[in-house]
Amino acid sequence: MIFQCADLERALRTAELMPDARRHAERCEQCREQLFQWNEISRVAPQLHEDWESDTLWPRIREALSAEPVRHQRPRTWRWALAIAAMVTLAVALLMPPRAANLGGPELLSDGALREVQQAEAAYARSIDKLAAVAQPGMEQSGSPLAAAYREKLVLLDSAIADLKKNVEENRYNAYLRTELASLYGEKQKTLREWMDYAKSK
Amino acid sequence: MVGASQLALTGRFQTAEYDTDAELLAACRRREMGAFEQLYRAHAARLKSIAYHTAGNRQDAEDAVQETFLKVYRGIEGFHGQSSIGTWLCRICINVCYDLLRKRQIEAERAEPAPLPRNQLALRVQLEDALRRIHPRHRMVFLLFSVEGMRHAEIAAILEIPEGTSKAWLFEAKRELQRLLTETKR
Repeated sequence: MIFQCADLERALRTAELMPDARRHAERCEQCREQLFQWNEISRVAPQLHEDWESDTLWPRIREALSAEPVRHQRPRTWRWALAIAAMVTLAVALLMPPRAANLGGPELLSDGALREVQQAEAAYARSIDKLAAVAQPGMEQSGSPLAAAYREKLVLLDSAIADLKKNVEENRYNAYLRTELASLYGEKQKTLREWMDYAKSK
Repeated sequence: MVGASQLALTGRFQTAEYDTDAELLAACRRREMGAFEQLYRAHAARLKSIAYHTAGNRQDAEDAVQETFLKVYRGIEGFHGQSSIGTWLCRICINVCYDLLRKRQIEAERAEPAPLPRNQLALRVQLEDALRRIHPRHRMVFLLFSVEGMRHAEIAAILEIPEGTSKAWLFEAKRELQRLLTETKR
């Protein structure tokens, strides 16, 4: 390869071109200087590590930690609640033959009621999506453990909602499944609101 | 200057009690002060340096480290060992520093930096000065890789970016630094 000055930047990115760059720099003063400075930056960088005596820092931290109220972690009941709700939903969906939905009964919706429920559900889901669009970017960017917990909860909720929606599609007249779906949407809305309240208070 | 390991020798710190990250984490969850002290001994030097270069001075850096430990203490249940404790601490510390910068609007002041003095400064001083002027995300990768000696995989975990992005930002950082150093020379 005939190495030219314009190739230097590419050589700095890819180690394979470096031997060619060095050979070229032996003859080219400008590239030699640039290459030297590039290496100098890496050589001097570790010297920028800043260390200083701070005798009072750990005692200060220890004092601050000792002053923290002891927090007992709230049991993550929502996880159990979700798991149980999902299992119950699945069991109901599996035990109830899909055609039974058209037979009528106390748990089943009429065609008119179904249309109204579907419209209300769609509006509710849209409003929660809008809420998520506002709340989630901040949550995604935050590296805090609390944000991670909320993210995890929302992933679980979304997954449970998706499963339940699938079941609802197969049992469209089943009022029980629709109630379960509404309660999951409600939980998602509550979670997003909690995060937004926390983010505002920060 | 006295490093954390030297401080340990003076007897101001207890000896290490927890041999593995898992034991240390479990002790932190029980809010054992010795465990947090061990975390401090192991990571404070690096955290202080990162905080210093981000916040701009030692006082703010120490405040940031203190705030980091408070956040760790409060949020230890939320850490499930997806990364090493050190990586997690670094991520929290960097977020704390950015919060501090936002509060004090230091970034706004940095948007129009004063010109570098033209006299011959030692390269270390020039580099430190130039480092303050480059893009914050490029600066952070340079700081973690070139100054603190971390690997791209660790940096990727801390900053939650792909490893390739970490490498690309390091290159951009060095290119910006080189440009600034060349300008100073002229």
